[in-house]
Amino acid sequence: MAQPIVTPGPTSPTPRAPRLPRWLFWLIPLALLPLPLYLDQYRQYVVNLILVYVPVAIGFNVVIGNLGLLAFCNVAFFGIGAYTSGVLALKLGLPWWVTILPAGLMGALAGAAASVPALRGVRLFYLAIMTLAFGELLRWVYIRWVPVTGGSFGMSVPPPNVFGWVLDNEGHKYYAFLALAVITVVLTDRLLRSRFGRAFMAIKDNEQAAAAMGIPTDRYILLAFAWSGFVVGIGGSMYAALIGHITPIAFDLTELILQFAVVMVGGLGSLTGSVLGAALITTAPEFFRPFPGFLELLFGVLIVLVILFLPRGLASLLARLHPLFVDRYYRD
Amino acid sequence: MALLEIDNVTVRFGGLTAVDEVSLTVGAGEVCAVIGPNGAGKTTLFNAVSGNAAIGSGRILFQGEPIHGLLPHQISAKGVRRTFQNGGLFGDLTALENVLVGLHARVESGILGVLLASPSARRIETEATARARALLDLMEIGHVADQPAAQLSGGQQRIVEIVRALATEPPLLLLDEPAVGLAPHMREQLVSIIRRLAGQGIGILLIEHAIELVMSVADRVVVLNYGKKVADAPPAAVRADKNVLEAYLGHV
Repeated sequence: MAQPIVTPGPTSPTPRAPRLPRWLFWLIPLALLPLPLYLDQYRQYVVNLILVYVPVAIGFNVVIGNLGLLAFCNVAFFGIGAYTSGVLALKLGLPWWVTILPAGLMGALAGAAASVPALRGVRLFYLAIMTLAFGELLRWVYIRWVPVTGGSFGMSVPPPNVFGWVLDNEGHKYYAFLALAVITVVLTDRLLRSRFGRAFMAIKDNEQAAAAMGIPTDRYILLAFAWSGFVVGIGGSMYAALIGHITPIAFDLTELILQFAVVMVGGLGSLTGSVLGAALITTAPEFFRPFPGFLELLFGVLIVLVILFLPRGLASLLARLHPLFVDRYYRD
Repeated sequence: MALLEIDNVTVRFGGLTAVDEVSLTVGAGEVCAVIGPNGAGKTTLFNAVSGNAAIGSGRILFQGEPIHGLLPHQISAKGVRRTFQNGGLFGDLTALENVLVGLHARVESGILGVLLASPSARRIETEATARARALLDLMEIGHVADQPAAQLSGGQQRIVEIVRALATEPPLLLLDEPAVGLAPHMREQLVSIIRRLAGQGIGILLIEHAIELVMSVADRVVVLNYGKKVADAPPAAVRADKNVLEAYLGHV
């Protein structure tokens, strides 16, 4: 009954839009390799902090930018990752590198749990407040579950250890963090450019039409949350390794707003934007040090200016430079 | 056996009976148009077929199998595809990506293959992209393939939506007011597209207000009024039907 409607020809006569060759991406981490040679320990720490916020922002962006759901539970995934990594290292004596994957998996589990309201059809502000409550609930657990988490005082995490090497200075941590940041960026990019990422975007634009195209929307909402949790959970384990001490206050609403600012300043839905946002928001306070007492003010003004002049974030600045820099699924 | 068989279907919203014991069939290669005044239950009937509205009683059979009670994505996977009245395109995706979403069920790459960029996952993606491009070229809108759908003209959007719905070669296509807002020459193109599809054996259920378009393209016209079927006949017969005149003009 179903006859072929059309028989597509072997080649398309229409010219394709130009795109940068994908291998060019690898020049960026390559160029960043010698960085520790030029930075003191403190500056290296700031760079490492940027690298922590790369997975944190790209994970957050998958749910709010690509899937388009107002889910504000990113600190929950971040915290779960950090505590999983910390507890496994401190209580079981596992080396840090072994705890990275479990941290991501626990984050994914938290993501799956956090997707339940969305799967029940909760949307918009209602979803925002319910997911916010999820993050606060976990914070309550960190505070109350004293034997495991150390309660309000938190827990000290042993120095990170990779294949027996102790990463005891910032330069050493840098290489581990750079590798993790690159891995999370590359994997998320592959996911977003596949049918999975297209399904996320379709759900964002028109959920009913997405279902009419044969997309089981629930399954993809769950997947987006779980992937977000996975990536952000890895960011959490990096955070634990960087700071060496984790406390519940590091995963509070202020932190959530900061992470939200990273995504918005970078560009909703843009992977490149998430990386740029992480770099700007993390380093900005350092540039404001000459003006003590004005830090919060200047930080606020910076965010307002970026959103005012680049409503689609730093990613749109890049896109304006040259059409080749427009990244896929991001529209200025 | 009819391709689509709507058998005594009733849809209620609270106390309102939007579709009232309607039966109709669509055969392979047949263009069946559903017309009626605003609020007659046309779109609700569509939603019932595509799984977006639950039916209160009756049956909906596709290729002899009941499909009522299935979820929209399951009905779509069975080969019943639809377009939407108010632009169902994914505005942030390009025309090409819209068609690729239409091909979703055919792009069977697994998540591990995607994450590891396995050769088979890449090949599946490349083949799907080539097919989507070819489909757009065939409908003569290949030149806008890489533009975001939201930036296309109304006519181009309508055609992309039809291409997207057809990408998986479904046996049955539901078109919800495809001619709204189209310029006259685009309407002619639409008519020729519908004819071509029907000629290839696709069953088409069409909701349309543009009567001249309906009369020129439909094999059969079903008229709904207050949720009830008041006529079901070839266009010429419907034109002369007393019940139809009453539905549109009131009791005369």
